[in-house]
Amino acid sequence: MPKAFLIDTSRCTACRGCQVACKEWHELPANKTKQWGSHQNPPDLNPFNYKLVRFSESLENGKIKWFFFPDQCRHCIDPPCKNEAEGYMDGAVIQDEKTGAVLFTDLTAKLAPEACEAVRAACPYDIPRWDEKSGLLTKCTMCFDRVSNGMLPACVKVCPTGTMNFGERAEMLELAEKRLAEAKKTYPNATLADADSVNTIFLLMDEPQKYHKHVVASVRTGLNRKQFLSSVFGPLRRPMQRAVRA
Amino acid sequence: MQLNRRDFMKVTGAGIACLSLSQLGFDLKPLKAYAAELKIAGAKEVISVCPFCSVSCHIIAHVKDGQLVSTEGDPDYPINQGALCAKGAAMLSLTRSSHRVTKPLYRAPNSDKWEEKDWGWVIDRIARRVKESRDKNLQLTNTKGQTVNRLEHVFALGTSHMDNEECALTHQAMRALGVVHMDHQARI
Repeated sequence: MPKAFLIDTSRCTACRGCQVACKEWHELPANKTKQWGSHQNPPDLNPFNYKLVRFSESLENGKIKWFFFPDQCRHCIDPPCKNEAEGYMDGAVIQDEKTGAVLFTDLTAKLAPEACEAVRAACPYDIPRWDEKSGLLTKCTMCFDRVSNGMLPACVKVCPTGTMNFGERAEMLELAEKRLAEAKKTYPNATLADADSVNTIFLLMDEPQKYHKHVVASVRTGLNRKQFLSSVFGPLRRPMQRAVRA
Repeated sequence: MQLNRRDFMKVTGAGIACLSLSQLGFDLKPLKAYAAELKIAGAKEVISVCPFCSVSCHIIAHVKDGQLVSTEGDPDYPINQGALCAKGAAMLSLTRSSHRVTKPLYRAPNSDKWEEKDWGWVIDRIARRVKESRDKNLQLTNTKGQTVNRLEHVFALGTSHMDNEECALTHQAMRALGVVHMDHQARI
């Protein structure tokens, strides 16, 4: 039975507890940041931030409205990053059948920089980041070590507002519908983002574009040309490379 | 080798699980490596209090071989119920950060440099400055001639890192000196 996150953005106050808890659990080093005009800091996901609360403000009827988006890996049910990576190497990106967690292993360090870029580009949510120094591809791990030991992911455990939820996928979908019905009373345009295809389900108060560019997958149905070619030739790539080398 | 029933079940159970999965051709090594690395496994749990604001969220500090390895909210505490804000969530970094000040620092009047000083020197100097100010500025009576014993030239700024008992002690010490301007600073 796969697990899932439900992230109810209507409850998020952008305290960034999740962002810090994630960094603390994974013991990731600090980033050098500067004032760049937004509370969103660091400005983007990076090899040392698997989780980032994005801040977006818009003016509606003369009132400022904030849209907070605790961004992270969606742990797709059919992950394009895994399909792409398998074209180069087995085991660099794996999916745990029990929890549905999509994991980048240490083998990603053996992928060539171009391959890493291809895996990055395959993500419809712009999540993976490449650490130039270690050569590793990095992203949210669904706290796989914690979850396999019966604990909640660090970001969910820490959340004081009920924004971050985690559990069996079926339970999360049920909760999502309940919360959506509740949210619609205040926000008539409220939706669930890509709930059918991902295990990190975001409840949005308004249109996805108001939050961030990559809130919903850019290609929602079928494969684009690049993904199509990758899925067709992916499995052949390694034997071909081997043949070229020999 | 002696096995009780429980151990026997564990060993056979694990054996059967490994056999069946490996027979199906799954390579479980990478996943196992991920799952086995729970850094707080076997750690002692120590209940602590977040030092930042007056909400005083409880924190579980995981201690292994005398070292702090992880901190997280205490789910059994009714106030925070396991949750923490960004500051409380950063308790591990608070203890490990290279920016942490571990020795008293002194900046002389008009100086632009901090100097490291030992505690004896610092406490001695604070005591001397407090006494000088009190001897010079203690106001025994107000304009109506009533006894007030007030010291308006010293104020105490507290810290939300102080617990209730430390606050009580500081308050009593300040009152004894005649200090009337006090702020605990636990509003955040």
